[in-house]
Amino acid sequence: MNLAAFVGRRLAAATVLLVLLSAVIFAATAVLPGDAVSAVAGVDASAARRAEVRAELGLDRPAAERYADWVAGAVQGDLGRGFVGDRPVTEVLATRLPNSLLLAGLTLAITAPLATLLGLWTGLRGGGADRFVSTAAQTLAAVPEFVIAALLVAVLAVWLEILPRVSVIPLGGTPLDVPHALILPVLTLSAVGLAVATRLLRVSVTDVAASPYCEAARLNGVRGVRLAVRHILPNAAGPAVQALTLTTGALVGSAVVVENVFDYPGIGRELQLAVAARDIPMVQGIATALAGVMLAVLLAGDICARLLGAREGHRR
Amino acid sequence: MTTILAPPGRRVRDNRPDTPRRRRSPLITGAGTLLVILFALLGPLVAPYSPTAQLAAPFQQPDGQFLLGTDVLGRDVASRVLGGGRTIVLTALAGTAAAGAVGMAAGVLAALASRRSGDLLLRCVDALAVLPGLLVVLVLAAGFPGSHAALVAAVALATAPFSTRVLRAAADTVLRSGYVEAALARGDGRWAVLRHDVLPNIAGPALMDTALRLVASLHLSATAGFLGLGPGGAAPDWGRMVSENVPGAALAVTPFLAPALLLVLLSVAVGLLAGRLADRAGRGAA
Repeated sequence: MNLAAFVGRRLAAATVLLVLLSAVIFAATAVLPGDAVSAVAGVDASAARRAEVRAELGLDRPAAERYADWVAGAVQGDLGRGFVGDRPVTEVLATRLPNSLLLAGLTLAITAPLATLLGLWTGLRGGGADRFVSTAAQTLAAVPEFVIAALLVAVLAVWLEILPRVSVIPLGGTPLDVPHALILPVLTLSAVGLAVATRLLRVSVTDVAASPYCEAARLNGVRGVRLAVRHILPNAAGPAVQALTLTTGALVGSAVVVENVFDYPGIGRELQLAVAARDIPMVQGIATALAGVMLAVLLAGDICARLLGAREGHRR
Repeated sequence: MTTILAPPGRRVRDNRPDTPRRRRSPLITGAGTLLVILFALLGPLVAPYSPTAQLAAPFQQPDGQFLLGTDVLGRDVASRVLGGGRTIVLTALAGTAAAGAVGMAAGVLAALASRRSGDLLLRCVDALAVLPGLLVVLVLAAGFPGSHAALVAAVALATAPFSTRVLRAAADTVLRSGYVEAALARGDGRWAVLRHDVLPNIAGPALMDTALRLVASLHLSATAGFLGLGPGGAAPDWGRMVSENVPGAALAVTPFLAPALLLVLLSVAVGLLAGRLADRAGRGAA
């Protein structure tokens, strides 16, 4: 199967999956439409007023019909309007998603090289340092992100007073206007990401290091940095990239939490606000968009792993 | 002529670092975990004040009356810390039990079924696993606001797909082993084989898997508390205490540091226990 056919098949599968997931998200949020009515009309609204709001929001129609309408709109790039503030969902996505992606990109830029170094080092050396790093990573990965964030706030913002506690971004500006507001969120996300990525890379590296191919290279006198960079890394990268993409889900969750801790104006903060306000269209739109981002990352991971895998076959 | 081989310098270890040299007993971590969980469950019984009563001015420093000071609304931090772990632990335990039951049933079913339908079931489970756990929790919290059952269901749904995969693999190995074939060949019924041959042999992987799921469940239920999902109100919750009191970090540190440190203790203890169990089962802590 050539690459184009492979990508096409995966793309089709991802699209089907996205439609399925959007249906699941819609069903999970649309089963209790009464609550959305009280959120908009107020808890103590009269029955007549409630019926009025219900008709206004289109909630008196059957759920399947509403879902069909929603999908028809979504295909044309219209995800409806939020109950609160009457903002178009797509507009919120367009302004907030780039901020979150910036956070993710910066985290990746810090995590990837560090995790590669630590993974190679611990996977090849073994011994005490390996045990220490592995246990530390395992411990760090178990602690909820907001706790790590709170501890960083306690040390860096309160005790040492070198960083702001919240990420206040001026109205209409981007996070890049106030770079120091990005430090704490990126630091928290990097700590979590590093813990996960190091463990995965280490497993991949030890697998390759135990392979006959590597043994042969070692017997030929290749060792040290040369062994790691020329022989182990190219072979360990494929499985590691694929394993890493599988943890994107966890990192999306981490980003939602971290944005909330630091009031960072990203899509996760918006999602939490929408959940708190029972803003159903906003929740549906954002959750579906995040599922789409997840699927895109998984797809990219599959393609990367395939490209790296082809190279691996050639090298062996 | 003899050549003297130079002693090998730094070289890659032959044995894979996956196998720990010293096998530390999970007993110590197990006892530690039990202690923290008991603290969380029994804490409300020994709280000196009501965890929801406003007793003094907000953000008072720790003194003789209020051991850990007061929080953002002037409530006693010590009482709230003692009372705030129960919901998290109970939600996580209920979610893990539900996820374990669903994962066990689906995993064994997928292994018992024909290869085709087993693969199909696993595909569906994988589709669910694409959604990040926290997204499942948030979406269900939006659909069923304030419902505790929905929170437990969300935690279970978010963690069950992995259990299904692990247990299917475990059951598959057992089903293809010689003694199951022998049992089937001598005419034992499918249920008898399941009860006497398969289930006892996947109990080990199931226990290890449950420990790993408990780590994830605790993570999720604490985060749900932090984001204010599930039953809200004034009831104490370590996660919510952190979100309530971090804005006042400059005024008082104990109101958010105490629950944060307890959450670290809880998750690290459970995480290390799961890691030890996984090591003993001869598998890297995935």
